[in-house]
Amino acid sequence: MKTFDYTITDEIGIHARPAGLLVKEAKKFKSLVTVTLGEKTVKASAMALMGLGAKKGSTITVNVNGEDEDVSAATIETFLKENL
Amino acid sequence: MKSGVFGVLQRIGRSFMLPIALLPVAGLLLGLGGSFTNESMIEAYNLQNVLGEGTALNAVLTVMREAGDVIFGNLPILFAMGIALGMAKKEKEVATLAAAVGFFVMHASIAAMVKIAVAGGKVFKDGQLASVVGLNSLQMGVFGGIVVGLGVAALHNRYYKKELPPALSFFGGTRFVPIVVTVAYVFVGILMYFIWPVFQQGIALIGEGMQSAGLVGTLIFGLIKRALIPFGLHHVFYMPFWYTEIGGVFPVKEMVDGAVQTVNVAGGQKAFFAELANMQLITHFNSDATQYFSGEFIFMMFGLPGAALAMYKCAKPEKKAVVGGLLLSAALTSFFTGITEPIEFTFLFVAPVLFVIHVILGGLAYMIAHALNVGVGLTFSGGLIDLALFGILPGNSKTSWIWIPIIGAIYFVLYYGIFTFLIKKLDLKTPGREEGDGEVKLFTKDDYRGRESGGAVSENKGDELSAIITIGLGGKANISDVDCCATRLRVTVKNENLVKQEILKGQTGASGVVCKGTGIQVIFGPRVTIVKSNLEDYLESPASDSPVIVSLKEEPKPAAAPSAAFTGNISSPLEGELIPLSEVPDDVFAGEILGKGAAVIPTVGVVKAPFDGTVTSVAETSHAIGITSDDGVEVLIHVGVDTVKLGGKGFSIKVKEDDKIKKGDILNEFDIALIKEAGYPVVTPVIITNTDDYTDVSNLPKGSVTFGQDIIEIK
Repeated sequence: MKTFDYTITDEIGIHARPAGLLVKEAKKFKSLVTVTLGEKTVKASAMALMGLGAKKGSTITVNVNGEDEDVSAATIETFLKENL
Repeated sequence: MKSGVFGVLQRIGRSFMLPIALLPVAGLLLGLGGSFTNESMIEAYNLQNVLGEGTALNAVLTVMREAGDVIFGNLPILFAMGIALGMAKKEKEVATLAAAVGFFVMHASIAAMVKIAVAGGKVFKDGQLASVVGLNSLQMGVFGGIVVGLGVAALHNRYYKKELPPALSFFGGTRFVPIVVTVAYVFVGILMYFIWPVFQQGIALIGEGMQSAGLVGTLIFGLIKRALIPFGLHHVFYMPFWYTEIGGVFPVKEMVDGAVQTVNVAGGQKAFFAELANMQLITHFNSDATQYFSGEFIFMMFGLPGAALAMYKCAKPEKKAVVGGLLLSAALTSFFTGITEPIEFTFLFVAPVLFVIHVILGGLAYMIAHALNVGVGLTFSGGLIDLALFGILPGNSKTSWIWIPIIGAIYFVLYYGIFTFLIKKLDLKTPGREEGDGEVKLFTKDDYRGRESGGAVSENKGDELSAIITIGLGGKANISDVDCCATRLRVTVKNENLVKQEILKGQTGASGVVCKGTGIQVIFGPRVTIVKSNLEDYLESPASDSPVIVSLKEEPKPAAAPSAAFTGNISSPLEGELIPLSEVPDDVFAGEILGKGAAVIPTVGVVKAPFDGTVTSVAETSHAIGITSDDGVEVLIHVGVDTVKLGGKGFSIKVKEDDKIKKGDILNEFDIALIKEAGYPVVTPVIITNTDDYTDVSNLPKGSVTFGQDIIEIK
């Protein structure tokens, strides 16, 4: 299990487009990805991620669990830094 | 609240296990020693020269008998220490010492009060007083131990980190615990002196009621004890009957200084062993005392193996080999040791009706044994080992053990017949009868090895199983406490919602899982002690911070497409011109990254619900809305492209998250002109975001559409 935090710097936050791209990244790997904001934890699906309502300044916690979790977590973290 | 009570009872139950696990050994010493120093037996077999008084062997056996007897005689203090040990959260050794202290102090205080009262002319009734650790105190039995154990544990958990002023700091922390216990139990002792006689009367009433209820009482006891097995609470239930006045008070003859005296012994099992220690003085063991266990031999040694045979015969031919190994080992475990859970749990969860039958037959077995005056004792459970020591060895004339195989034969046939009939009639999914090619529910050791050798990394087996259990329990951080009894891993978790029962059930080889709030029990059978110590070692190693199942082929990823039952069309939420998603001027939508679907260039600024369902998400900027149909189809309706940048301007959302919607309800209104003027395309993608759940999702041909007209086909 790999866990890391990321604070969103994008002006708009996780809306449809980045949510979709994030899910696309997560789906490249076998590991199960969940994202937590505050009390809410969701699986990495576009709809659920948008439902989190993560805005600029929100800190999300990403949890990756599975056989390729190391590389998966690294890829997702890179994606977040570049896009959000 | 209910689960809190369960959690506490579960911890009390497993706290009993340490002293109870001692009883087979104590029983072995007492059983061998008692039987072979029994004068009538020595005479019967003409063994005076070998075993008679004065021989070396007799001396050895006498020592064995006394060594075993002292354990049964001092169970209360052992329970006090065992419970304190089990219930203490940390620094358990301190709590254990404190429990011994508390026990001495309490009984010394009671003894002092008794002495004062006797000096003042008070007369105590027969059986009210007893010698407890050498003190002439009130007869509290193991209840005294429980009062001390639970109280000390509570004090310990509260005070073991207590900080005292600097001058007294030497007495702080864990050292404070025995001190506060000493003071507290002086008062508990005084209090007990006054209130315990009241309890004694109440308990005696229950015991008398139990005795006067006769065979019906035995039946009720048996039914309840069996029925509590799934909850793991049977230890808490039977214990008072075995060790206290609730089970009745029995006169037992004892040799004291060469003269025969009658003493009152409380509790069924204690009475049996008191009789065993003085076996030459009795003609037959008191079956009113053994009613709480003699019947167990019947269904544990004979009935349940019959059930196992029935399950084996009913298994599919191709699965018989695997199931046979499993059932045979479970049947032998029950036959020899009387540990029944491995068999019981093979049918308890998949076929509760069989368990109901088992409870009834089991309850009847207690009653039948009582009715036939069977007086066979046991230390722990009703297997061959105990039958040999406490039934056969003392001799049929004193135990009537011969009835056990006779009734047992009938029970074997009954279990076999009833189980076979019901399994076939109701098509119950006992092991080896599962649908399809699914793996037999319980893995045998061979399966396990096969899987292991197939894995790329040869981690040791214990570690791998521990990793799976850790994941199943929601990760290391979620585990607050690990313990076990004879067959179950008993775990307390912090958050029961993180527990993945399907992993615990399907991938650990466990025969069952019981979850009651934060109390989790995973049933492994007798090998649980090894599972537990491996798990503990594993949890202390750094590997447990990120458990990975290396050689498991299936990933613990949720199976795809569980909700893929839906096929059909999705109708348009908009009025306008239908185009394929690929023509939307945005690579995210056009590339189907969010899923497949269609797009509509709206001519009217209204979004209506395309089906009955629920609102799953609403964008803060009101431009997009996610809805889920009652059939499980997830749809995102994203008005315009890049319209998130409008910050909600031009939109008027009519619903909020979790709202129920009906087809045709207005969800969103928007100003087409405003969006266009701001420079954004107004084209609205309608996307099935859970496309992966379906075989295919495609848009219908281009053209103008109105509300409610089909635009997307789902297969």
